[in-house]
Amino acid sequence: MSDRLLEVRDLATTFATAGGPLPAVGGVSFDLNQNETLGIVGESGSGKTVLSRTIMGLQPRTNVTVSGSARLNGFEVVGASEEAKRGIWGTEVAMVFQDPMTSLNPVMRIGKQIDEVLRVRLGMDKAAAKARAIELLELVGIPSPVERYRAYPGQLSGGMRQRVVIAIALACSPKLLMADEPTTGLDVTIQAQILNLLDRLKSQLQMSVILVTHDLGVVATRTSRIIVMYAGRVVETGSTRDVFQNHRMPYTRALLESSPKVASHSHTRLQAIPGRPPNLMKLTAGCAFAPRCAYATERCHRERPELTAAEGPGHAFACWNPLPTTRGAS
Amino acid sequence: MSDPRTPLLKVRDLSVTFGTKRHPVSAVAGISFDVYEGETLGLVGESGCGKSTTGKAIMRIVEPTGGTVELEGRDITTEKGRALRQLRTRLQMIFQDPISSLNPRRRVKDIVAEPLDCWKSVTGDERERLVQDLLSKVGIDPLVYGNRYARQFSGGQCQRISIARSLAMRPKLLICDEMVSALDVSVQAQILNLLEDLKNEYGLTLLFIAHDLAVVKNVSDRVAVMYLGKICEIGPSDTLYEDPEHPYTKFLLGAALEADVDSPVHGDVLEGEPPSPLNPPSGCRFRTRCPNATEKCASEEPLLQEIAPGHQVACHYPLRTLARR
Repeated sequence: MSDRLLEVRDLATTFATAGGPLPAVGGVSFDLNQNETLGIVGESGSGKTVLSRTIMGLQPRTNVTVSGSARLNGFEVVGASEEAKRGIWGTEVAMVFQDPMTSLNPVMRIGKQIDEVLRVRLGMDKAAAKARAIELLELVGIPSPVERYRAYPGQLSGGMRQRVVIAIALACSPKLLMADEPTTGLDVTIQAQILNLLDRLKSQLQMSVILVTHDLGVVATRTSRIIVMYAGRVVETGSTRDVFQNHRMPYTRALLESSPKVASHSHTRLQAIPGRPPNLMKLTAGCAFAPRCAYATERCHRERPELTAAEGPGHAFACWNPLPTTRGAS
Repeated sequence: MSDPRTPLLKVRDLSVTFGTKRHPVSAVAGISFDVYEGETLGLVGESGCGKSTTGKAIMRIVEPTGGTVELEGRDITTEKGRALRQLRTRLQMIFQDPISSLNPRRRVKDIVAEPLDCWKSVTGDERERLVQDLLSKVGIDPLVYGNRYARQFSGGQCQRISIARSLAMRPKLLICDEMVSALDVSVQAQILNLLEDLKNEYGLTLLFIAHDLAVVKNVSDRVAVMYLGKICEIGPSDTLYEDPEHPYTKFLLGAALEADVDSPVHGDVLEGEPPSPLNPPSGCRFRTRCPNATEKCASEEPLLQEIAPGHQVACHYPLRTLARR
């Protein structure tokens, strides 16, 4: 068997809204190998969360159209029944959501919430499930797991709750862990702890990880490849180094330059991107970034650029007027 | 204090205690600092450190339980009634959530004019002119958008409207509480640049409260770091970021993630979590997580001491002193 874990082809998700169809994800293709960490980066409304949920097969039952294909370890998620999808959730793919408070049941002891997964999915008996749950709590770095097993989510801090959510996700040893903004809303010191934990677990348990985030700092040192999304499409993808240092798409550069840096002096003028993200219901035939792009020409407004391969391995960008390559320059 | 400039805002021993008599939670536990005319003081810290409460206590949105806050020589904490209201026009606050800080059912121009209407300080024509001027200053076309409702705007635009409203009374001091943390990076940069421009144009003094270290450094001349209701370090931003003296500042900076592939992967990570403010540690409040803590740290509370001009640290063993040994 090849080491390819996930194959996504032309995946598109469109919501039917009162105002017309809303193409949240508009044709995304990528592959993910085993033991790889992929970052999906974009601003709010770029489709990164909808993409990750579509890959999980988590979408509302009505008012949504999914086309294309997402094959997870040979299982086609698109069009699969709820029943069939339940077979892969937990064991093949598991998800860690952004808000650890709302993903836990506030009136159920955390131990029980971990047990539930083990007993339902793995058919463990009560005692075995409890022992395994305590092991999992220890694995995710919760101090005194035996006592915490009986705690309610409200008695834990945000960082601890996120560790519990990770423990639940890991309960059935998934091959792919999907983490959607796992550290947003946590303090920086706690964020560093959680990201280190995910890193350690990934190598310890031989998982692949997809890290969905708006924060370029989160993906900079913890992913091997990155997908940059804008208005529901991939605008640039490549190795993390290529995306950060040899980006060709003006949006990638604008995103990098608009965030303030700890290393630069105070009162450094920021390179803001003018305007704001487009309304997905009113996308034009051209490049979605064109109205905000400093390099846009007439063609950009008329015709949408497809992903074009660049020099680096797996590096591709969608732009008619790409930035010059810096490869070989330094 | 060695700074020759006059402080616009003088905070002394400010404390705020919530909770009951039997279970007091000291959110702000006696902090002192000055904000000088024309500067931006950044206030950083993790959630629960008391930074927002400090901002609100200065405005008296929450009542301080101790200490004094002097604005241009007048003590805000003892003023009452009309005098307090008058004093409050000199300082304005911008909040984190731009959408919920505006009434969705009111028109933009009325929102911006609200402070003027409260004080009935201007006539109809003058009011119109001022509102148009303020809206254009924040980059919202008053002729196109002035009559629209607040609910029709995005987060970034709402934050621009909040800024326009806060400038209506020509305040001296603007308190910005996490004003860009709900915005996307591309919009965040626009707002930070706008704030910088308006600060120069209106001669504003800023107290900028945020958890994002990079954002705070970008806007601030000086930065104060808070931990569990206390200030642990305060100094010029470039110095403080390059040579932090307090171990907590160092850990905080080490945990900040840079959008740079070559930044160190696993820096020293601060273990554990902040203790509960219900039961803060004796002595230095950071000692339970500090690698350099000794018995002295448990028995004796370190006070803010000046170790370089304008740079104060509350630690028995500042890092540079430690390095010299």
